[in-house]
Amino acid sequence: MKTVSEKITFDSSLTLESGQVLAGFELMTETYGELNSDKTNAVLVCHAFSGNHHAAGIKDGDKKPGWWDEIIGDNKTIDTTKFYVVSLNNIGGCHGSSGPVSISSELGKPYGASFPEVSVSDWVKTQKMLADHLGINCWEMVAGGSLGGMQALQWAISYPEKVKKAAIIAASSKISTQNIALNEVAREIIRKDQNFHNGEYLAQGKLPSKGLKAARMLGHITYLSESNMRKRFGRKLQDPEKKVDAGINYEVENYLQYKGEQFAKSFDANSYILMTKAMDSFDPAKDFDNDLVRCLQGIQAKLLIASFDSDWLFPKEYGLDIQMSAIKAGIDSSYVELNGDYGHDSFLFYSDQYASALKNFLNSNG
Amino acid sequence: MDSQLQSIVLDWIPSNSKVVDFGCGDGTLLKTLIKKKFVTGYGVENDPEKINDCIANGISVIQQDIDISIQNYKGMGFDVAVMASSIQCLRRPRNAMRNILQVANECVITLPNFGNWELRLGILNGKMPSSAQLPAKWYETKNLHLCTIADFEELCREESFTIKKKVYINRAGKSSRLASKFPNLFAAQAVYLIG
Repeated sequence: MKTVSEKITFDSSLTLESGQVLAGFELMTETYGELNSDKTNAVLVCHAFSGNHHAAGIKDGDKKPGWWDEIIGDNKTIDTTKFYVVSLNNIGGCHGSSGPVSISSELGKPYGASFPEVSVSDWVKTQKMLADHLGINCWEMVAGGSLGGMQALQWAISYPEKVKKAAIIAASSKISTQNIALNEVAREIIRKDQNFHNGEYLAQGKLPSKGLKAARMLGHITYLSESNMRKRFGRKLQDPEKKVDAGINYEVENYLQYKGEQFAKSFDANSYILMTKAMDSFDPAKDFDNDLVRCLQGIQAKLLIASFDSDWLFPKEYGLDIQMSAIKAGIDSSYVELNGDYGHDSFLFYSDQYASALKNFLNSNG
Repeated sequence: MDSQLQSIVLDWIPSNSKVVDFGCGDGTLLKTLIKKKFVTGYGVENDPEKINDCIANGISVIQQDIDISIQNYKGMGFDVAVMASSIQCLRRPRNAMRNILQVANECVITLPNFGNWELRLGILNGKMPSSAQLPAKWYETKNLHLCTIADFEELCREESFTIKKKVYINRAGKSSRLASKFPNLFAAQAVYLIG
């Protein structure tokens, strides 16, 4: 699989949905496969809340492959021998694209908490600029799970002629009240870390790692299903030899401690806040008097909406809600309810039913 | 679906209408309707393999159980609802019939006739009967509520469903004088336009 990683600089200023302006910005990108001469085989994959541009393949020195490696690759569901797959880190993130950890030319230091608020439609706007940069006039498909699925939906709404198919997986047209509440608890945990310093921790030479770790532990529970946790850990006691902390009793505690710790090493606290805020505020119908049907009416892309039965963070009713509005709007849209063992995280993993639906959708004509 | 049955259904469904096909299978009928009558079509199906066929065929499909979800399709602006050889697979066919007439102004129903002589002979032989329309063995059939033409039309009378048009089709997939004259005995299938 031909893989190219590239950081692309955009010199033009970008006016964000909030009204704030970025003088210029950078996008960290990774592409898989090759663009055909007509530039008609391009697929954009959008990452979820904590993902990044590295979607497939294993990088030198890494133990784990990219976040959608089970789906993207040569002869896989999104087949890189046929399609040119574009992945990027969204602005506000912390893996190479402009975000709170990048240096502001005005300030001469990292943006920190001063990085402007970003939204899903801001991301889609920058992705459109990336498409123009790559010479891609129309995506064969835009796909993503969770917050990535919201971007796929926004693409179909914002640029109807630029998307042929949009795969909206484990997503919704707006998140639930419970979801906003959970995000706020996570943010509060981060803000109350004594190293947070109102978001200016980098200038202080400190990191709010404890807060970030605890926030992720909470988040991680919501990404899994109860049955998955039960099957995987049950009430098994942790092997004393492998305890990350002396106070730990159960395997599940050890697992969450470990996952939280790893996350805190690779993620930025301000990015965490920005990304969750973008998720909270996503509601494309708000520009159409809160009428989702009217919001979807202009869509020309075919939609595939997929929900997982074990997902309680983005329950299937939310996917079905988009589908029923799509029917009312009279646009092409299919809805599948998939069996997934992993709760909300099911969208990351291969299953026959999931892969067939996505593959058939991507390869369908007419 | 037999070609004559399909041509009747095509004939009854107006061009450019919005159609929902409950129990759409692999989406063949919808695909033909989209191609020949320019309809906006959606299928409702619960079998994952058939759903995949629909998606591969480029047909919009919704994975749902008809018994549970049919009432959710009210107020969606459908002109015609189709239920082709599906009604006998439902747990609550009467409820589905009551709802389908609120989903669309008109509905097209096709059903296999359990009163056909071939099936009656099967019963006389003391075995669960089978035919070209009902090929599955008793232990693997999806049919839960088989009925005869007489039964179905009785339900329509009781519920005051107006049968606007009907055609009876014989075992060879054709309309015939015999099937028209004695449908409950000689028709293998019936197709109705109900309003």
